[in-house]
Amino acid sequence: MERDTNARATRFLVTTSSARASVPGASPFRLGVSFDRLGSVIALLAGISVFVLPFVTYRANRIVSGEPRLLLHALPTTVAVAVMGAVVAVALVAVFIRWPTVRLTAAALGLVVVVPAVGLSAGFMTPTGNNFARISPASGFWLLTLALGLLVADSLTRLRFGPWARLGALVIAAVAVAILLVSGAWHNLSLLKEYATRADSFWREADQHIFLSLGSVAAAAAVGLPLGVLCHRVRAVRGPTLQVLNIVQTIPSIALFGMLMVPLGFLAANVPAAAAIGIRGIGAAPAFVALFLYALLPIVANTVVGLDQVPANVVDAARGMGMSRRQRLTQVKIPLALPIILTGIRIVLVQNLGLATVAALIGGGGFGTFVFQGVGQTAMDLVLLGAIPTVALSFAAAVILDAVIDLAGRVRK
Amino acid sequence: MIEIEHLSKHYGETIVVDDVSLRVDEGTITVVVGTSGAGKSTLLRMINRLVEPSAGRVLIDGQDTMSIPEDELRHRIGYVIQGHGLFPHRTVAGNIATVPRLLGWDAKRIAQRVEELLLLFQLDPAEFAKKYPHELSGGQQQRVGVARALAARPALLLMDEPFGALDPLIRSKAQDDLLTIQRRLGTTVVLVTHDMEEAFHLGDMIAVMDEARLLQYGTAAELLTRPLPGFVERLVGTAERPFRLLSLAKVGDAVEPGSAEGEPVDVSSNLRDALSRLIWIGSPTAPVADASGAIVGRISVDGILAHGRRPT
Ligand SMILES: Nc1ncnc2c1ncn2[C@@H]1O[C@H](COP(=O)(O)OP(=O)(O)O)[C@@H](O)[C@H]1O
Ligand SMILES: [Mg+2]
Repeated sequence: MERDTNARATRFLVTTSSARASVPGASPFRLGVSFDRLGSVIALLAGISVFVLPFVTYRANRIVSGEPRLLLHALPTTVAVAVMGAVVAVALVAVFIRWPTVRLTAAALGLVVVVPAVGLSAGFMTPTGNNFARISPASGFWLLTLALGLLVADSLTRLRFGPWARLGALVIAAVAVAILLVSGAWHNLSLLKEYATRADSFWREADQHIFLSLGSVAAAAAVGLPLGVLCHRVRAVRGPTLQVLNIVQTIPSIALFGMLMVPLGFLAANVPAAAAIGIRGIGAAPAFVALFLYALLPIVANTVVGLDQVPANVVDAARGMGMSRRQRLTQVKIPLALPIILTGIRIVLVQNLGLATVAALIGGGGFGTFVFQGVGQTAMDLVLLGAIPTVALSFAAAVILDAVIDLAGRVRK
Repeated sequence: MIEIEHLSKHYGETIVVDDVSLRVDEGTITVVVGTSGAGKSTLLRMINRLVEPSAGRVLIDGQDTMSIPEDELRHRIGYVIQGHGLFPHRTVAGNIATVPRLLGWDAKRIAQRVEELLLLFQLDPAEFAKKYPHELSGGQQQRVGVARALAARPALLLMDEPFGALDPLIRSKAQDDLLTIQRRLGTTVVLVTHDMEEAFHLGDMIAVMDEARLLQYGTAAELLTRPLPGFVERLVGTAERPFRLLSLAKVGDAVEPGSAEGEPVDVSSNLRDALSRLIWIGSPTAPVADASGAIVGRISVDGILAHGRRPT
């Protein structure tokens, strides 16, 4: 253990201050423990979350302010002590064990203990027969989850998983979350109570959110890729196109929604066919168009850059062997530009999954509906009901596209 | 046979190739040599119409290249460039299969051809077929580049500084391999280089270009013995001239009757190497043996030197 000094771990030196003061320059006393810096931070966070910060908040109903409860008081004592023990064990692993697989396993087990525990706590604290009391995770729980999540992320980075392994890890995480939600372990938490009262609208907004973000990216790709190819081929088109798209990119989203309401409203009022397919001055249409416009620049710009960076002698060889323009594009240039093009799509997908929340402001729907309703009612759980799925979707999209990019660029240096 | 007739290329006011005419015979290697910017690549690229000529024409076996659709023309002409230009996203086998695939060969025929070419270029198919270009050494990449150009059995191979990126030892091996393969396949080769040594080593015929014009076109011996005064003379290298002449002539050309002591020299080796031997062993003469090992006469330092002398 002493010898296998990891790059990120630091050897911890302890000097006694008196010795240093009295004998300047004397070699310090070495404590024979090597010590992981990030691990210690994680352990510290975990310790604070478990012993100092409230684990859950109890509220008599969904809008009154709550009373914080420490972990020790949020669960039956034996269970609480067991959870504390588990967290301390994970913290010790984080500090002293360097082996990434062990750290990953410990962090995963920690999450498996802590996450259902908060659901259990909700069951324990809800007075029987009381439908108004709300128990929600408090800062201690969130900080603890963050600390364990950091440990997971750090071990995954150190393990340098390939793209398939990362996709596998994502699937495992998704299955774990699904089990947690379906099993009912969290049913007594305020977040799920909030969900239960509006399950129908939740899935409707989820569909809408995915339609707005993925649909706008798909439309932007369908337009942006050919436009990028055109900009790559015709220099005269490139400058103006990229400039216009650049300007669009700088317009704040609310302003862009507002700007689109006028022409789309006009269209709806004057072209019956447009109105018939659902185009309105407010609602999903301006939101979709705005998201589409935001997605266009990164896709076009990355397509142009990707095609431009294909080595000239490779293209020359392709031409010399009698590949037609189309064959050069589809068989040589696009495959070689693909990692960069996909990077552009990754950027806009993650961006639009987040931006789509703003669509709710103009009646476009999506998870933003819950966020803004929640803000209006000062109901934090409702805000979370919109925010958590948004973050989870963005995260999953990033992991999936990173893996795809890796796979696409894998054969080359 | 390729006939280049009054071929010119200009970009605006700049003349890059100026009224070049030359004939390349079937199954020979013609080397176009000249300093950088002379217009060699442009001349070469007008043969497969990567550059459209401003004036003049190119005939391949009597057929005007302008009458053949350009992609079809290029399928029939191998093309090798400096730094190989291999497709980084395709394996060695995929790279070699490029033109056969464009021609719509069936998979089995392509696989056979790829294997055949890998063996021809001394690359073990089991080891190399599935590798990607970045996993190969410079010499291996270069060989794959040539194999790819030869995949659809073109009668004509165009090479633009094909050995330019190789270090000297690998380069001379690659040149020898090219000679062997060219002699075996009988492919007509037009090769561009700025390296005079390479031109003499490879060229059946050498075309010297400078400032867009073809200055002299002839065999290596003609260029050495009767160089055009000025640029060609300087390029041929006055100090090297006798030794270059000697390396062009064979021992068979200088064999004399009589006998001599010591190890025989091979009748097919060149006079430069024979002279080196004589200097090294400190003897004025050596016996000459033919391919079967029979002594056919002797060779002498004086006899060799006569072949390096200025013609009168
Ligand atoms: N597309 C082009 N436009 C303008 N000038 C060119 C172009 N291609 C080549 N040239 C010029 O023509 C000259 C000859 O080029 P090239 O045939 O590549 O010479 P070489 O192969 O002998 O070095 C150079 O001066 C080069 O700058
Ligand atoms: Mg050149």
